[in-house]
Amino acid sequence: MYVLEVKNLTKSFGGLVAVNNVSFQVDEGEIVGIIGPNGAGKTTLFNLITGFLKPDFGKVLLKGEDITGLPPYKIANKGLVRTFQIVRPFRHLPTIANVLVSLQSYRGRRRIEWIKTPERKAMEMLEDVGLSDMALEPAENLSHGDLKRLEIARAMALEPEIVLLDEPFGGLNPVETEYMVKSIQRMHLDGHTMVIVEHKLHALMKLVKRVLVMHNGEIIAEGTPKEIAKNKKVIEVYLGKVV
Amino acid sequence: MQTVPIARYFRKIYTNIATHIYDRPPRTLAFLIIIMLSILPYSGMDLIKLEILISANLIAILAASWDLLVGRTGQISLGHALFFGLGAYTTALFIKYLGWPFWITIPISVIVGAGVALTIGIPCLRLKGPYLALVTMAFPLALQGFLYYYRDIFGGETGIGLPKIFPGLRFFDRIVANYYLSLALLVLSSIIIYKIATSKTGIIFISILDDEIGAKACAINTTKYKLMSLAISGLFGSLAGAFYGHIVSGSANPRLFVDTTALMPMEFSLIPIIAAVLGGVGTIYGPIVGVYIYQILYRYILRDVITFNIFGYIVTVDRHMQLFIFISFIVLLIVKWPRGVARAIVEKLEDLEEPRELEEILKEKTESKQM
Amino acid sequence: MVKRMLESIIIIGTIVGLIYAIIALGFTLVYGISGIVNLTHGVFIVVGAYLYGVLSDYLLKINIFPPESPYLIPIIAMFLSFIFTAAIGSIFYRLTLHQILGDEISILIASICSCLIFQKLIYITLGTSQAFAYRISPLAYGKIRIINTDVLTGQALAGTISLITFIALSIFISKTKVGRAMKALSQDLEASMLMGISTEKLYMLTTAISAGLGSLGGILYTSTVTFGVASYMWMSGLAVSFTVVVLGGLGSVKGSLLGGLILGLAEISAMTILPGAGVLQSSIPFIVIILVLIIRPKGLFGKRIEME
Repeated sequence: MYVLEVKNLTKSFGGLVAVNNVSFQVDEGEIVGIIGPNGAGKTTLFNLITGFLKPDFGKVLLKGEDITGLPPYKIANKGLVRTFQIVRPFRHLPTIANVLVSLQSYRGRRRIEWIKTPERKAMEMLEDVGLSDMALEPAENLSHGDLKRLEIARAMALEPEIVLLDEPFGGLNPVETEYMVKSIQRMHLDGHTMVIVEHKLHALMKLVKRVLVMHNGEIIAEGTPKEIAKNKKVIEVYLGKVV
Repeated sequence: MQTVPIARYFRKIYTNIATHIYDRPPRTLAFLIIIMLSILPYSGMDLIKLEILISANLIAILAASWDLLVGRTGQISLGHALFFGLGAYTTALFIKYLGWPFWITIPISVIVGAGVALTIGIPCLRLKGPYLALVTMAFPLALQGFLYYYRDIFGGETGIGLPKIFPGLRFFDRIVANYYLSLALLVLSSIIIYKIATSKTGIIFISILDDEIGAKACAINTTKYKLMSLAISGLFGSLAGAFYGHIVSGSANPRLFVDTTALMPMEFSLIPIIAAVLGGVGTIYGPIVGVYIYQILYRYILRDVITFNIFGYIVTVDRHMQLFIFISFIVLLIVKWPRGVARAIVEKLEDLEEPRELEEILKEKTESKQM
Repeated sequence: MVKRMLESIIIIGTIVGLIYAIIALGFTLVYGISGIVNLTHGVFIVVGAYLYGVLSDYLLKINIFPPESPYLIPIIAMFLSFIFTAAIGSIFYRLTLHQILGDEISILIASICSCLIFQKLIYITLGTSQAFAYRISPLAYGKIRIINTDVLTGQALAGTISLITFIALSIFISKTKVGRAMKALSQDLEASMLMGISTEKLYMLTTAISAGLGSLGGILYTSTVTFGVASYMWMSGLAVSFTVVVLGGLGSVKGSLLGGLILGLAEISAMTILPGAGVLQSSIPFIVIILVLIIRPKGLFGKRIEME
């Protein structure tokens, strides 16, 4: 059984088809990358899978269970968790409280081992991403790179079955990018399943074994990073027609 | 003359709520204030001033309940007078038509307040910002029409009379008793609301305020929490209104919702807002202080006509001019302390203390869980 | 008999609805173009009516115009009131809204406080008795007959003026450069900014026009329906604007027309059919809003939002 199965997902806005009959599967423990030029429909796809948009047609299955069209909080409670391309921290809350929000959800409260308090668990998550010394700092004082890591801490606090990362490297400098690569590798080693949408191809290709390429709402290619790099259609889509 | 960008300060007010989640509340200051307030009746204060304070205490409960909803959860309410009047009318209707004593009808009002909040919350919380604001503004105004239409049931303009709470006492003693009652209610309510606002549930409220979509992505059922905050808000609002009807106004009348001819129309809907802006939105204690400032200024200082003598010229300031000056003064206060007067004071006190260490906070939370 | 009643409901309801549509037009225009929920709109309605009343009384008193052209005074007073109210609107915008664009809560708080300040200003400038209720002379006298119903000439005239204004505004938006810039802003803010459209100036202009339209609505309403204006009428003016906008959709000119008509018809029907519903009259817009929003949270013509 696949952790995540997407079948024939379709969504249009007015006359524009944003996501067109997209299907793919993700196995447990895999990291899958999704790439494609701007406007290819990647974020819309994420929104459809995570419940923030309702598809016109198609199904989303999480560990065999049909979660299509459920409200986002229910999908997150079932273990399908996402981060956002543009960070959405809770600005007025201290960093540790940001993570506490996840831990106060239904899923969060069920899973905290009885010895620890939510605060201790939150500190662990912050330590994992290197934010423990900013714990009491209001989130609005954090740098962009820190906020990206906070997004991840908040998502991982839910102990997800699968995490969807929407452009985790966006806006990061080389040092932060390296750190993020290491974090994601560590999460992979811990056995987490991930789907990553990303533009920074060099960072992404280091992490994933399988890549899906989207263009105009469709998946136009699928394969290992090496195969994708040589795929004529993909090159065309990114660079324009090869003369 | 440079035009004063008054409105720039309004922006700072809202985007800057103080969460105080891990701050120890200024307990010593609070104790001192409560003790001072308790001694007041015996320091030679006259009855009129005491009555002003009684009103202030009850309206402060309304303002604190508003702050929990708007300042912490971000659901705009421009019609909080709804709960105020609802509380008064519920107790009045049960007393008049069923003859039950007030110590039963007031708890009923409280429950009805929470219930009504939930009932209107379920459809209304789906509304986006401006629509929600408009609908909350509409509720008290719509209700008013019904009150006048069904004159026989609701008593029209005069409303329904409400019995006193301490009927056996003499006049002066009764006012003092009412004062302590209102003070006790205020202290109790504000402690409860403050504790809720700084609890884990309060953290979730703030997350909804900051980014509801982010909260949903953190697996939070935001609708449930919005309803919760609305219900608590309605509960305390009705509590305040019921007691106000019994102690202050002596009746449940339409003016508790909206009074078009008064100096300050939509009084009970607008006072929480002004008080919150004065004292500090989202702080819970801020609106309470704001109500005090407002009440004392409004009831004590404004008179029918003020005449005074400047260099031999007699200057008359009538009520409306006074109100204009009054509102301008409030705007001035807001400009000087855009984040709230009370909040500025509390933050000054916090600066004097040492910041708490993370370990200390974690230990405190662990201990409280194990108890 | 029933047919008669139905006819009169439809005709009077339509006319009243047209007036309501104009009252709400400014409110919806400001929201559609700049995204501001301007609660001060009710004040513009009232101020416009007061200005009209004061100006026309003054013009009458100083007796410049020959009595053969009794329509000169109302026309001039209307025009002047429009201009003045528009000026007040743009000053108001510059002083307050401009500073807090984007912060919805502060805008709401600031506009409500401004309503109170304006209300007090009216009291101060006019004195208590006149501020409480100011008589406004009728726009026109007599009755005319439209399809078996007697209609006050003033009201028929008001309905016509309203229709003409709608047409004029549509032409303005679609044909003039400024109008098309405003339409562009309402559709896509970023693209408009990229095209070099100056948002600040346009926002101020929009607020000015909406204030002027509000004043026109106030003049039509107070000179043909209530024959008087009171300083607290900003609340009912706002109520009407909300309802129309909820019915027709925030930001849509056509919606304003449609919403106004629906409200007008609903109100006149209720008043005709239910006995003694006079007191209920001012609550009707609110009741309508509540009912509509409960059933359809985005108003009758809004799109269902899915994310954000």
